[in-house]
Amino acid sequence: MMQKALDRVVDALDVETFLYAADEEEARSLAEQLAAELNLPHGDVVFLEYKGFGARVRIRSYIHHPGDRYRWLERGSSK
Amino acid sequence: MKKVLLAPLDPVHDNAVKLLKRKLSEAGYDAIAMRPGTTSEEVIEKALEERPIAILVSRTLGYKVAETLGRLVDLAEASGLREMTRLGVGGMAITKETGGELGFDACFTGELNMTEVLAFLEGKPVGLQTAGNAVAERQKPNIVQGFTYAFKDKEIETLLDGIVDQILEWVKGKTSPGIERAKLRAEMLAEGISLRSPAKVSLTQQRLREQYLALCDDTIRAFYLTDKLPAGVRWLAAAEIEAMENLLGSAKARYSPLRHVGEKPLFFSQYGTGCPVMDVMHIKVAEAWGVDGVLHFDPSWGAQCEGLLEGYLSHEHDGTILTLENLKFIRHAQEPATLWNVRGHRGLNTPETQVLGHAAGADLFKINIPYGSTAGGTDPQRLTVDGVYSLRLAAEYGIPFDIPGNDELSGVPPFKTFAGILIMVALGLKLGAKPIPKPLLCYSPYMTIYGRMDDNMIDMNIAKLMVWREIVDAPVWPGEPVGFMTHSPERVQSSMMTAVHAALASSMGVDAVTIASSDEAYSKGPISAAARVDTLRAVRDALRFQGSVQLTPTPRALTLADEIHDGICEVLKTVAERGDFVASICEGLLGNEEDGLYPGRIGAGTVSGGRL
Repeated sequence: MMQKALDRVVDALDVETFLYAADEEEARSLAEQLAAELNLPHGDVVFLEYKGFGARVRIRSYIHHPGDRYRWLERGSSK
Repeated sequence: MKKVLLAPLDPVHDNAVKLLKRKLSEAGYDAIAMRPGTTSEEVIEKALEERPIAILVSRTLGYKVAETLGRLVDLAEASGLREMTRLGVGGMAITKETGGELGFDACFTGELNMTEVLAFLEGKPVGLQTAGNAVAERQKPNIVQGFTYAFKDKEIETLLDGIVDQILEWVKGKTSPGIERAKLRAEMLAEGISLRSPAKVSLTQQRLREQYLALCDDTIRAFYLTDKLPAGVRWLAAAEIEAMENLLGSAKARYSPLRHVGEKPLFFSQYGTGCPVMDVMHIKVAEAWGVDGVLHFDPSWGAQCEGLLEGYLSHEHDGTILTLENLKFIRHAQEPATLWNVRGHRGLNTPETQVLGHAAGADLFKINIPYGSTAGGTDPQRLTVDGVYSLRLAAEYGIPFDIPGNDELSGVPPFKTFAGILIMVALGLKLGAKPIPKPLLCYSPYMTIYGRMDDNMIDMNIAKLMVWREIVDAPVWPGEPVGFMTHSPERVQSSMMTAVHAALASSMGVDAVTIASSDEAYSKGPISAAARVDTLRAVRDALRFQGSVQLTPTPRALTLADEIHDGICEVLKTVAERGDFVASICEGLLGNEEDGLYPGRIGAGTVSGGRL
């Protein structure tokens, strides 16, 4: 069975964007909402900087934590 | 002279062709460059006239790529040219797939790599195979080579002599559980014995096991006696190890140093995700993006616990567990020329870590008694005894050790930290080891509280590097990592701060630099592989920007260097007059409560023998 691309993410998946928001609080709330809408497990706001119109934001989700069973390792198992 | 025809099959772009013409001419080829807008027919006509050994085609624009290049290949076939002339293609519009599908003999993507171009012209294999050969031929660098370790400051040398003699006198006859375990571990390695029980237990193994476990904490004893793993630790399955080794066997990256010019500094990055398999992946990423060496970081609890575990073990928090199996697996995965440092300077297993590191193939150790017995949390008596023993091991193994100055992060002024590092330098030399001082380039509390970097971060950092050159002829390796406390979770900012510090250090002619990832200031999760690439990419470009330019110290930098130099002398005088190195640490002569330093307590009361 073909692996999902997500399985090949070595550890973290970061989403970076600029969110239009009224203030920093709303920007943070939107960032968390965005992580949920993208189905990112345990999305965390790594960085958020709000100025005037919106926020530069980076959201992170760990697809594979150190110590997990890494799905990208399955490629080595098949040999 | 062999001819090469350079053809920009592109309406306007011919920069690559001009660059190639210069480089090929320098390499002794007769490079004939055609003008932009040349047609495939004109290229073939010119080739039939000049009879080159190769035609190198450049294409930047992306439209009609297949049509244009395919036409050239077809014409070359039809004219019989391919019997004597090979076809190569490169440029922004070209991918490996494009070149191969169209029938070119070689395809060059990414930045111009003259090694590959020349290999192609000489009829050698191009691409990963060539790159692999290049990696195998790369020699492992030797950071300490060429240094005399002669002291240029004779006053400091004299002071250090007295301090070191006192330390060596004080440790005479003393031992600790850490030292005794190191001896047992060395015996086990010599006998090929592990502590985890096979079906048949020999008398020697039984004796070693009993002696070793008597010197361990309960957590370690429980592991060996009842198979109970510490919290957050799991066994790695053989299938996981095997799968990672299979992955390693299927890919090889071409080594491309971060340096734009010269052979130094060497660049190191730290790893210790907790999982050896993930560590290996991170190391391979770091190697592929240009590091020369890596440093192993173990869990902080491992340093506070008497005794070490065995086997392939993964840990779900920061720091990868020190076992011989984990270390060997990690070493085996590295490129042969990658330098490998195993940290063991701050905890209760310092001597045993050197034994395991040596057995696993470490190139460098890390030992700093003043730092480890203050900010590192270990009792000063214990770490002095263990540290001296570890330096003897480093000397016996011929493995240089580095001396991090990270107590500056607590708020210690550089002159006190450097005095401590210098004591370690002198102590190591007296015992026959090769020390490497590691001044920290950082925005430490001392700098912020006293406004020492209010205007800029260059003068102080230059001063901190200059002073080492004034005192002793030793390698200098800023770390750990450079730019400490200047990073934020914003990855561009973080990478840039690392890059400018690395470039500054490089311009000062240092021998090695430890760099962070762009996750340095992100504390809510492990460092990601992508964050390693961020910083390595930034450092590469900063070095490209800087080239061989060297900075001239400003008058303020010179003044700061004098201040640090004088401060070091004063601290060493005080320690020498005190006549007791351990007491000097406990009484704060190398950093006190006001500097944010307190004597460590872990392992207190565990030193025995000698006069205490």
